Amino acid sequence: MSSDSITAASVPSAANARDLGKKKRANRSAKLKQCKLDARREQWLSQGTAKNRGFKEEQNGGVQCGKGGNRALENLEMSSRGEDMDRSIHQDSDLDSPSNSPTSATSSVLGGADSSTNFTGSGSSGSSSSSSSGGCCSGCITEDEEGGGEDDGDGLDDWETMADALAADEDKPQGQNPSSESESVAQVVSPRQVTDGTGLRDGDSKLECPKMVSGACGNSRAWRPDDAFRPRSLPNLSKQQSLPNPDRHYGGGGVAWASKSVVSAPTSCPICCEDLDGTDSSFLPCLCGFRLCLFCHKRILEEDARCPGCRKPYETDPIEAEASVNGGSLTFRLARCCSMITRS
Amino acid sequence: MQASRARLFKEYKEVQREKVADPDIQLVCDDSNIFKWTALIKGPSETPYEGGIFQLAFAVPEQYPLQPPQVRFLTKIFHPNVHFKTGEICLDILKNAWSPAWTLQSVCRAIIALMAHPEPDSPLNCDSGNLLRSGDIRGYQSMARMYARLAAMPKKG
Repeated sequence: MSSDSITAASVPSAANARDLGKKKRANRSAKLKQCKLDARREQWLSQGTAKNRGFKEEQNGGVQCGKGGNRALENLEMSSRGEDMDRSIHQDSDLDSPSNSPTSATSSVLGGADSSTNFTGSGSSGSSSSSSSGGCCSGCITEDEEGGGEDDGDGLDDWETMADALAADEDKPQGQNPSSESESVAQVVSPRQVTDGTGLRDGDSKLECPKMVSGACGNSRAWRPDDAFRPRSLPNLSKQQSLPNPDRHYGGGGVAWASKSVVSAPTSCPICCEDLDGTDSSFLPCLCGFRLCLFCHKRILEEDARCPGCRKPYETDPIEAEASVNGGSLTFRLARCCSMITRS
Repeated sequence: MQASRARLFKEYKEVQREKVADPDIQLVCDDSNIFKWTALIKGPSETPYEGGIFQLAFAVPEQYPLQPPQVRFLTKIFHPNVHFKTGEICLDILKNAWSPAWTLQSVCRAIIALMAHPEPDSPLNCDSGNLLRSGDIRGYQSMARMYARLAAMPKKG
C-alpha cells in the first residue's frame, strides 16, 4: 500500500525534475565554474544515475533483443525455477552484458555478487536497478559513455536538480529516514508485482525520485566487506553486511547508513569535545573516517599531521578539500575520483 | 588550554560513568587540579603482578590531547619497560605513537597490556630486560612477583 502511494507520488516529480534539468543543462558549464563545490557534488550524483541508466540499458538491450523481451524472459525463468536459479541467471546476464572494458566487467561482477544475496531484489526491472546501482558504486563509468547519450544526459540533468534539492534538504535528512526505508523496501518488493512494459519506467522513477535513497541504498550494497574494490574508508558497513535477514539487508543498510551520517553529525569532536557544527560534521579529513573539528585538525596539521584515528599522515590539500565537500558521502569518494579521471 | 580542560572534563564524566564497566582501572582526578590524575590499576591475571594494585600518576600537559600525558608508576614495579627508580614507562603510545584519540582510560588499558606483555628489547629496567632476554622467565617472574608482593599488595597482619 505504502509503496504504491510513494511511487505514484514520485512520478510527476520526476517529470518535473526533468524539465528543470533541461533548463539547467544550458548553463551548466557556467554553473560549474561558478561553484566548484556544487559541481562536484552534482557530478558525483549524476554519475550515479548515469551509470544506473547505462547499465540498465546494457542489461536490457545487450543480452536480449529488447528490454521487454529480456525482462519477460528473466521473469518467466524466475517464476519457474525459483530463486537460486534466478540468481544465477541474473548473474549471467550481468556477466554477459558489459564486457566492453575491464572496469565494466568488474562492476558487473560486483553487481552480480550483490544480486546473489538480494533475493527479493533480483527480479525484473527492479533487479536491474538494484544490481546496476551496485555496479555504479564500484567506480566504473564506461557504461555511461556507451549506454546511449540522450538518456544519459537526461539522467545527468535530473540528478543535478535532485542534487540541488538534496543540498536544500540536507540539513534535515532525519525526516527522510522513514520514507527512505519505505522507498527502498518498495524498490525491493515491487519488481515482483510489476511485469509489464511500465516496469522499467516505474523502476526509473523510483530510482530518481527518492532523493538520497538510491544513493544511500546503492551505498550499502556497493561493496561487500571483503571486496577488493571496497575503499578502506567504510568503517562500519561490515556490521551491516552481516545482518542476518537478507530481505531487509539493503533497506536496513541504506537506512542505517543514512542515519549514521545523520547521527554522527551532531556529536562532539573527540579531540576537544566541542560540538561539531555543520562544517565540522561534513568534514572528513582522512579515509579512515575519523572525524574531528576543523580547529583540532588544523592544530594537528601544525604538529605531527597524523590522523588520530589511524595514525597515518593526513593527505595533502586536494583530497582534503574533496573530503570536506563530500562530507558524509566519503564512500563514494574513491569511485568518484577514479571515474572523474577516466572521464576527462 | 581551554580545549584540554574541556576534554579532561569530558573524560572525567566518562570515567564516572564507566566506573563499573572496567573494574581493573580506578581513575581519579586531583581535587584541585584537573591536569593531575592518579590511577589505580590491578595487575593482570596470570602475570607476576596478579593481585597487586599499582598506582600511576598522570601529568597532563596543556597541549593535551595533542601531546600525550606523562605517566609514571608510583608503585615500585619490576618490569623491563618501567624504570625501577623513577617509575617512568617506556611505551610507544606515550611517546611517538600517541594519538589524540586516546584517553587517560585507554592509556591505563595500554599499561595493563604492557604489564602482561613486556617488551624486553627496549628496556628501561635492564636487569629485568636481561633476565627476559636471556630466557630466564622464571627468574623474571620471581623477581617481579617479589616486588609486587612488597610494594603492590596490602601488608598482611
